[in-house]
Amino acid sequence: MLFSYNWLKEYSKEKLPAPEKLADLLSLHAFEVESVSKEGSDSVLAIDVLPNRAHDCLNHIGMAREISAIMGKKTTLPKTKPAKAAKGSLPQLKVKVESGALVPRYAGLVVEGVTIDKSPKKAREYLAAVGVNSINNIVDLTNFIMLELGQPLHAFDYNQIQGNSMYVRRAKAGEKLETLDDQTLTLPEGALVIEDANRLIDLAGMKGGKVSGISPNTKNIFLQAAHFNATTIYKTKKILKYTTQAADIYAHGIDPNLGMQALERANQLLQEWGIGGKVVQVVDIYPAKGKPKLILLDLDFVRSMLGVAIPKPKAKKTLQDLGCTVADKGNLLRVEVPTRRLDLEIPEDLVEEIGRIYGYENIPSAFPAASLAPPRKNSELFWQEFTRDRMKELGFTEVYNYSFIGQKDVRQFAYSPDEQKNLIELENPVSEDVAFMRDSLLENLLKNIHSNVRKQGEIRIFELGKVFSKKNKKFEETKMLGAVVLGGNFYAIKGVIDFLLESMGISGVWYDSYKATPEKSRAVVWHTGKSAEIKVNNQEIGFVGEISSRVTQGLKITQSVVAFHINMDMLAQLASEEKEYLLAPKYPSIVRDVAILAPGQTKVIDVMNAIHDAGGTMVRDIDVFDVFEGGNLPGGKKNLAFHIVYQSDEKTLTNKEVDAIHERIIKAIEENPLWQARK
Amino acid sequence: MVKYTNMEGEKEDIKALEIKAKKEISAAGDLKELDQIFRAYLGKKGHITRVLRSLASMGEAERKIRGKAANDARDALQAAFEAKKQQQTLQIEEAEKKDHVDVTAPGTKLPKGHLHPLTHIQRKCQEIFNGMGFAVAEGPEIETEWYNFDALNIPKDHPARDLWDTFWLKPKAADYLLRTHTSPVQARYMEKNNPPLRIIAPGRIFRYEATDASHEINFYQLEGLMIGKDVSVANFKAIIEEFYSQFFKKETTVRLRPSYFPFTEPSFEIDMRQGKGNWLEMMGAGMVHPNVLKNVGYIPREWKGFAFGMGLDRLAMMKYKIDDIRLLYSGDLKFLQQF
Repeated sequence: MLFSYNWLKEYSKEKLPAPEKLADLLSLHAFEVESVSKEGSDSVLAIDVLPNRAHDCLNHIGMAREISAIMGKKTTLPKTKPAKAAKGSLPQLKVKVESGALVPRYAGLVVEGVTIDKSPKKAREYLAAVGVNSINNIVDLTNFIMLELGQPLHAFDYNQIQGNSMYVRRAKAGEKLETLDDQTLTLPEGALVIEDANRLIDLAGMKGGKVSGISPNTKNIFLQAAHFNATTIYKTKKILKYTTQAADIYAHGIDPNLGMQALERANQLLQEWGIGGKVVQVVDIYPAKGKPKLILLDLDFVRSMLGVAIPKPKAKKTLQDLGCTVADKGNLLRVEVPTRRLDLEIPEDLVEEIGRIYGYENIPSAFPAASLAPPRKNSELFWQEFTRDRMKELGFTEVYNYSFIGQKDVRQFAYSPDEQKNLIELENPVSEDVAFMRDSLLENLLKNIHSNVRKQGEIRIFELGKVFSKKNKKFEETKMLGAVVLGGNFYAIKGVIDFLLESMGISGVWYDSYKATPEKSRAVVWHTGKSAEIKVNNQEIGFVGEISSRVTQGLKITQSVVAFHINMDMLAQLASEEKEYLLAPKYPSIVRDVAILAPGQTKVIDVMNAIHDAGGTMVRDIDVFDVFEGGNLPGGKKNLAFHIVYQSDEKTLTNKEVDAIHERIIKAIEENPLWQARK
Repeated sequence: MVKYTNMEGEKEDIKALEIKAKKEISAAGDLKELDQIFRAYLGKKGHITRVLRSLASMGEAERKIRGKAANDARDALQAAFEAKKQQQTLQIEEAEKKDHVDVTAPGTKLPKGHLHPLTHIQRKCQEIFNGMGFAVAEGPEIETEWYNFDALNIPKDHPARDLWDTFWLKPKAADYLLRTHTSPVQARYMEKNNPPLRIIAPGRIFRYEATDASHEINFYQLEGLMIGKDVSVANFKAIIEEFYSQFFKKETTVRLRPSYFPFTEPSFEIDMRQGKGNWLEMMGAGMVHPNVLKNVGYIPREWKGFAFGMGLDRLAMMKYKIDDIRLLYSGDLKFLQQF
């Protein structure tokens, strides 16, 4: 809110610090001052009043009180005139309130015989300084008092209140009201409205109705200073997407005792500003009076919270400067909080008051007295970072993508209606490009390839992040590792996985292409013949393969793209940090190679199993070192080449012994009519 | 194989061996082959060595004759080996002089990986806080209204909620949302762990807002929480000053200003500066509100502590002088490969 420096000065007996200096003081002890600007002979401060102080500081007296408290000085309050009804000629106003909970206080003055005119120059200048247009003396008076005291006022043209009757009630859904700013609002159920004998005349706490507004011909007014329920006003604001300064103040709650103070101030200004008129009726429906709160404060608690001891006299004075009544009660302070400080409820609130006025900058830094025990290690996080390092080692660049995908992606990546149903949709997306939570990392990674493809040769990127989906109406989130290589082949990306898993000490890894169905990505993304489930023992931990050209063509990518998508949560679980140390083998190994010509769809794992079965325990390891298709091979065939490592735990194997086993293996392979060993 | 049983033929045998060996030496193609030949004649089990070794079991006369022949052969062959070796070494040197590389040409390019700047920042923060005894905790990115708001003392239908522009998930009635801060991790962690405790919780958060150079719809925050019997504002100040000093590798002073967060009381805005530089607004913090402690089953005032939440994107942008937050989520390799 904007504050006028000259206006603030009105409430201080002493000289205020210069505007810039004042701004610094406020920033360090109360509220951030966003700017100070010179406006003629005045300065305007834009002060960011904190939400918990809106009820008492979105006005000049409240701010002046803060300044006084910071400086340890007193505030001067403006003159008021008690509101006493004199005899008049107007008929009695009958006011009824539906609910005391929704309208804790309804007060107002009926004033007979006012003269509508311009406001005095000084008032107009103050209002102009804080950005409020001057309209006429009555409307200006309501604005002036709201900005001075924080109590929203509203002036009705008394003669427009039909039947001299006002009923403050909840609106029925769909009721309509034309407001003073020429808008016709369709009201939600429960909004507070005021009705006269025949029609709605006011959206209570927010904006006056057009029919009851002040006009140049207004002679008699009803000046309302009410207290409306904060939650009700807040909800109405939200639903209508409509607000006013009064509504903003009400939505934060106000001091119920403020109403009469504001009316007494108005009574004073009616005379000072030459508006004239006399009060002929005082309305005040105030069933449950607001009373000061009591808080017992232990100064030892203050010390243990702030880490510095504040002397008792100092703490007492601070609280008194803020308007509290303070008395000793044994070792404690008995603090009576004025009703205007709605935010002060518990001892911690008083710690804040003492701390900020004392100055947080005066609190020394002191390391805590805490255990030296090292923090528990988060092993999931350890493996996550380990994985990132391995991917980096393998030449991958890490990207962070949005957690969202959009309508366009749903089309581009061919989500089926069922798959779309499993996507989590945002209630309020900022745009349709980010309307859903991503259910896989691949789509955004592929888009990265698309947008970088002109700049690079081979591209290797990865992301580690969460994916989201709906299962049986429940939301699931899973941490995934996704990697994409532009210009690689299946075996290259498989090698990345093998390297990664091996370095994590995960064994029992195999690749299953039998009816392979990805769990955390969608089948349509993958090349049917060049993809597989990544399994550890019997658990699917991810999917690997070439990206289907259905997808790459759509992204205008001409090279082949291979990718994998692995469940990071599972990976971290499987990884065992304690690797067992294996004794180095005692006896040397002997390596023999074998190549096999086999039909194209033959799986390496089947050949390896055959080798193991035939070779027995002396076969220590089998490595595939070449898989070759095409060239001058007979159509549909492929060549698989293996290193077989022979080793014994008991002795040095001789060539002769190894030859015998190797022969046995070759024979076993050739027993399969489709396989042909090439020596 | 020559056998040494016939007394008359012995001399000739040794001579024949020597001749054969010399032939082989001169025909040897490379150093490896030469070495094999050497071992076949002069090695531990070489022909000549075996003859020399058999001398011990002979009569003196016999030993004299055959010993001389064998020693002569050995010396002659050793000389021949040496000569051949030198010749071969020279040949290699000659050949290598002709075969050379341009040492000024660039090396073969190996694929180089890069970690995201935010990964670097998160690691740095974790390292510093780990050093001060803070463990790392994580929480879900899809949160319930309870953990994101209510448990943190942010009531429904209260203007305080307007401080967080929130993405809600469909159906709205389910009250699921994308966490607007990492503070829910505080509540979740305290529910499962007994005090005293010290944690940080880095992670992705979401805000419903228009994107520009300093705003994104998803970004990163690091939450901190320390609970103990006697944890104070002064302690917070020390911890956070130490953090910034280590992070920026420069002595850093922090300044606390009053602020408001529903889940802390008192609440602060944290500014920092180095030397006499300008104060920079860094993050929000405060002493955990007793309602939050109550909500997680702690006894307020018996336990107390501080909490803070810092934006990691801002730290990354300051550290690497990045002027547009959107670059961090752009997937632009030209940008990412600088880290």
